[in-house]
Amino acid sequence: MRRAANFKDYRFELLLILPLALYVIGFTLGPIIYAILLSFQEQFTNNFSLKNYYQIFSHFQFKNALINTFAITILSLILELCVGLFLAVLLTRRFIGKGLLRALMLLPLGVPTIVSAANMRYIFDSQGYLNEFLSRLHLINLPIDWTGGGGLSIFTLALADAWKVTPLVMLILIAGLETIPLDLFEAARVDGASFWQAFRRITLPLLKPFITIPLIVRGIDAFRLFELPLTLVGSSTPVLSTYTYFEYFQYNNPYTAAASAVILLIMIIISATIYLKISRERKSIYNL
Amino acid sequence: MKRHKEKIKRIVLALALVLVISWVIFPLYIMVKISVSSPQEVMTQHPSFLIKDFTPDHWQKVLSGQAIRGPLTKSLAVATISMIITLGIGIPAAYGISHLPKRWGYLALIAIFFTRMFPEVGIALPIAIKFLEWNLLDTNIGLALAHVIRVLPIACWILVGTFQTIPRELEEQAQIDGATKKVVLQRIVLPLSMGGISVAAIFSWLFSWDEFTYALYLCLAQPTLPLKIYYYITRGSWFLTATYATIITIPVVIITYSLQRFLKAGYTAGALKG
Repeated sequence: MRRAANFKDYRFELLLILPLALYVIGFTLGPIIYAILLSFQEQFTNNFSLKNYYQIFSHFQFKNALINTFAITILSLILELCVGLFLAVLLTRRFIGKGLLRALMLLPLGVPTIVSAANMRYIFDSQGYLNEFLSRLHLINLPIDWTGGGGLSIFTLALADAWKVTPLVMLILIAGLETIPLDLFEAARVDGASFWQAFRRITLPLLKPFITIPLIVRGIDAFRLFELPLTLVGSSTPVLSTYTYFEYFQYNNPYTAAASAVILLIMIIISATIYLKISRERKSIYNL
Repeated sequence: MKRHKEKIKRIVLALALVLVISWVIFPLYIMVKISVSSPQEVMTQHPSFLIKDFTPDHWQKVLSGQAIRGPLTKSLAVATISMIITLGIGIPAAYGISHLPKRWGYLALIAIFFTRMFPEVGIALPIAIKFLEWNLLDTNIGLALAHVIRVLPIACWILVGTFQTIPRELEEQAQIDGATKKVVLQRIVLPLSMGGISVAAIFSWLFSWDEFTYALYLCLAQPTLPLKIYYYITRGSWFLTATYATIITIPVVIITYSLQRFLKAGYTAGALKG
């Protein structure tokens, strides 16, 4: 009979993990609990109440931030998945310069987010390079204000985020595509299936687990988007994280800032729970 | 007829490729271009796409000026300190995790992975409040401690992977010969893992080097390089922004390329944002 794993057998290993556990408690869990407490405290009196939540939910900028966050997340996920899937399928084919393309696609991943935010400003500024490009093609006469707020800014942010993140989605999808046995496609071709038929009936269903992972992980990242909205659109198009930042730094109110951070946290925890459910079905994270 | 169709397909494919490649390269090209262009070429209604008026002015101004020294030393110092802290916590922890029963190790990895998902603005806020009380704002050690939040998951990921590749028989053999677990770790596992440890070290350094959010919350008077870029963006100085942005990007791109194969496990698990 096999004995169940016992804490005592692993005293040395657990001791080694202790500093990590202490650090995570001190610098991740601790701050989060403190933020949750702050969000329920009234400014000045420190009484516990829901006042901060009432306050932010009656604030139109917060509602905007909430809507914008969801809109950007959905839009950028659609963009990243479509382009990522297209590139992944492309890159599993053979053609000249494939290695070079693969290497190039890694470039945005390495670029620091603040740098990509700066670069996106050069492009989406009203005197920037996208407007210049469009006007040279005679597609527009007057410069478009890409970052002035409203739906257009949401689109701009999704595009800017997609620049940095699509390669990551692509890499995950390529890893997925490589697990599909080539015989399947051979067999489909012998049976007379077109490329589209094979794509819809073989590639997509088998790729589904590899699509859900980036979908959720990227969704969480999109909820937290900070540098891009801060530098590109500022307070004209707030998202949850920039709203939190402005509440603290511009209005000097850590309590409402904490409340909005907690809302963000709840959204993330819900997504993470879904992720955990899915990945537990697939058991091992080691050979994913 | 069929040949014709094949040809069209190829042209469409090639066009799509060109589009994608330009989309990837263009923002970076513009950054470098602006850093070497004269103001007349950029600050107009119709900026030019090619470098017409090359000028080293912005680079000279940045590199010979005083302004870069503070942020550069701070970024270098903070990145190095957080690398050391990360390795100090991460190496033992990763070894421990890789030697726990599979189920526990999996749980531990998932837990670390989830700390990466928490909103940074939510963590940075209480830390900033506490650091204000403890006089840790604007200090290198304070910022480095905060950066470790971001750095630890990726370091643990790489390190656990490294320790798992070391044949368990080797360790068991040494234990049969009478070595304690501690000796096995010091004499056998660590020397064999130097490659993976240095990769983890480099990435730890890198993830602190280009960090922005914690720095924004925890620096007041002494900015890091990424913060400096942000200040120049908000002040609207396109040329200084471009020059600083290029400076900060160079080491990052070099390191990412030379070490990308080590990141693969992280990529495929979607654990990395880059």
